Amino acid sequence: MRATLSKRLTPPSPDQPRDFQFPGFETHTLPNGLKMYLARYDRGPLVQMSMTMTGGAEQDPSGRAGLATFSASLLDEGTSKHSSIQLAERVENLGGYLSTQADWDSMSASAGVLSENLEEGFGLLAEIITDAIVPAHEVERLRGQRLADIQRRHAQPGVRASETLAKMIYADTPYGMPINGTIDTVPSISRDDLVECLGIHTTPLAASIVATGDLNPEEFVALVHESFGDWKGAAPAELSTLDTPLLEGLRVRVVDRPDSTQTELRMGHVGPSRIDPDYVPLQVMNSLLGGKFTSRINLNLREDLGITYGVSTGFGHRRGQGPFVVSASVDTASTGVAVEEVLREMSRLQEELVGQQELEETKSYLLGVFPYTLQRIEGLASRIAEIAIHDLPSDYYDSSLEQIRNVSMSQVQSLARKHLHPDRIAIVAVGPASDLVPQLEQFGAVEIDPEKSL
Amino acid sequence: MTNQFSGKLDLESYTLDNGLRVFLHRDPSLPLVAINLWYHVGSKNEKPGLTGLAHLFEHMLFQGSEHVDTNDHFRWIQQAGGVANGSTWFDRTNYYETLPSNCLDLGLWLESDRMGFLLPALDLEKLENQRSVVINERRQTVDNQPYGRAFERLNELLYPEVHPYHWPVIGYLEDIEAATLDDVTSFFQTFYSPNNAVLTLAGDLSVDHAIKRIEHWFGDIPSGVSIPAIEAEVRPIGTAAREVMLDRVELSRIYQAYTLPAYGQSDWYAADLLSAVLTGGKSSLLNEDLVYSRQMATDVSTFVLPTELESTFFIVATARPDTKPEVLEDALHNHIAAVAERPISEVSLQRAKNKVVTALCDELQKLDQIADMLSMFATYFDNPKILEHEVETYLNLQARDLSQFAATYLNPENCVSVVVVPDASAEDSQ
Repeated sequence: MRATLSKRLTPPSPDQPRDFQFPGFETHTLPNGLKMYLARYDRGPLVQMSMTMTGGAEQDPSGRAGLATFSASLLDEGTSKHSSIQLAERVENLGGYLSTQADWDSMSASAGVLSENLEEGFGLLAEIITDAIVPAHEVERLRGQRLADIQRRHAQPGVRASETLAKMIYADTPYGMPINGTIDTVPSISRDDLVECLGIHTTPLAASIVATGDLNPEEFVALVHESFGDWKGAAPAELSTLDTPLLEGLRVRVVDRPDSTQTELRMGHVGPSRIDPDYVPLQVMNSLLGGKFTSRINLNLREDLGITYGVSTGFGHRRGQGPFVVSASVDTASTGVAVEEVLREMSRLQEELVGQQELEETKSYLLGVFPYTLQRIEGLASRIAEIAIHDLPSDYYDSSLEQIRNVSMSQVQSLARKHLHPDRIAIVAVGPASDLVPQLEQFGAVEIDPEKSL
Repeated sequence: MTNQFSGKLDLESYTLDNGLRVFLHRDPSLPLVAINLWYHVGSKNEKPGLTGLAHLFEHMLFQGSEHVDTNDHFRWIQQAGGVANGSTWFDRTNYYETLPSNCLDLGLWLESDRMGFLLPALDLEKLENQRSVVINERRQTVDNQPYGRAFERLNELLYPEVHPYHWPVIGYLEDIEAATLDDVTSFFQTFYSPNNAVLTLAGDLSVDHAIKRIEHWFGDIPSGVSIPAIEAEVRPIGTAAREVMLDRVELSRIYQAYTLPAYGQSDWYAADLLSAVLTGGKSSLLNEDLVYSRQMATDVSTFVLPTELESTFFIVATARPDTKPEVLEDALHNHIAAVAERPISEVSLQRAKNKVVTALCDELQKLDQIADMLSMFATYFDNPKILEHEVETYLNLQARDLSQFAATYLNPENCVSVVVVPDASAEDSQ
């Protein structure tokens, strides 16, 4: 066999690459201002339709954290024609789903069905958007459900770590609160609050329809005209933006969980907004730092030190200043080392130019995996929804890929200098305080939270 | 009901001289190709005292081989613009990558190198590093998670100590700590051979070209030894058990398990369809009653494992703070008893069938899912065309089949449960 081995010595070179372009979509606007983004996309006999409305949990008023997500959850809980369960039965009888949600930037409702059931699925989506009646008994049922979920999640050390970090970075502003609210805010949200919140979202000037899959755009436009041609709504809310300052230095907090077998570690600071011109090139920098398996931080902490199953970094990229966050579950005895190494890798990216080879590998990774994220019609829909929410140009993704190709070594360094702040970062460790405090004192005075505080 | 979908997929299949079975599915809609390898070895091939070896071994397969340096497997894949991973389960271990289709050769080179040329690259340093990673994985996903030990405990209660499904796939901490380089080496020599593997490619490929490249990279890897047979007695019905487990949780949660015939048997499909009837969506039987109407639970789910020796039906429900777990347990038992006694409505049955077919269409959008499914059918049934048969089986099931299944297998004498409740002492310690 040895004679045949030479073929194995170096990796085989790639064949000619196939050209890839972002799948096409059409846009239309109704006279009332409702926008449509429609893509005929052949991934099987399926269609996904959603109504995306600008303004999300970022707009939750003080003391009402959880308002946007709570409101969204009431969309499919009853209309003047159908009860909550009847709505569920109608779409589930078709094998499909209705779902509603809110994130920081938007609220949305979606329906997914086999394309032979497109009209019926769309009818249900239109019904819940234009005719949600927010029954009082459903409000109370979901409130109880929501409070129980908050309680359940509070026992998860990872959730606890992420929520503590958000609070340290954003204090009592919306981004500092859990998106689903707290045990204190959820009881204070009234039915009137929910109705009002839905009112300023479900209005043609705040809304866009995104539909992808096995559909005929011309017929779809006619359907939208039929259901939404006469739709009127309140003026959409004026969206406010907050300016959050960076911390003055390092801040360290331990949530004491005495018998933990491991430590949940989070580190982070305020980052740039989704519409910052650095958004695309920053993905290259983040991927190289901690955004992929072969990133610097993961290779260091996992493959060299063996102190974690995995670590990742990411920018939140919200309409406002979303967070930059480092997440890992680490060996408790090595928590100090983990923090030190993460800070060192962040600084190293600011101080030293990255190698050409490492940069090219990162860029080709991001370019190559893009089509992978478009295998499902939902994947395409979420990309298009970003265009709708942030009012991006229609060639946004093709030009983003071009931007990635052009990122240079010195650009990575200047992005790191501008957007990473290893000297103004918050550090949270959820684990046994007696083991953690001695390791973390070197980074600053350690504040300690007891485990139970619900 | 839909007539659009039959589960038919275009497929080429053949076997190399060394015993490697190959399946090719062409779909050029995106410039991607999914490569998927199933080795017919999992935690069931381990022995008590050496649990977790199959999974620890899976980690070692990402640590390079004779012609691939330690961290270079992921490096080569990622710089080509691909994604890769592997997973270990009771009956099998899979390895997969999805690459831009012009990089097919790269994936075949990497997979064939670790199939044929792993041992020269194995050393103790790599083993120690991955042992620490796996110990951290176990802590992150099991020991340090609320409810994290529940499934492990269920299987310990369901199956006797010598049964291959008794121990967890990830293994016990002390066994992971004890595994030696010799254990890892002999595991490779026994199980990692072309005759114990299935290779599936799905995506933008030319069949003729793929056949040539597969022969080029895999053709010269020699066959291995024949695989030791697994002997296990099927768990008898009538060994019910119930255990209360204290944990650092806020809400009590009930885990129930019932054994049933293996994946592929007609009862298994009845179980899977019944699972959709019980918890597939808000209007499903258990969700509608326990979560929506009576509001006893925050969530309820059911699922059936596609395992080879025999299978398990799971019911998991989290109690609302004001519901005693015993009350929720009774409610679950009453529902199951009702299904066993009286066939469900035609509407519920049809809804579950539509759900199963739609979910399948949804999965088939992804090349890596298609490839993984084909590898699974080939490994378990030696028949990658089983998908058509599965669709037909689901669609032919009647309400009385589901009742009969429930009466036979989902009865209290066959039920093992673990009830996880808040540990009051942990609360008091503050």
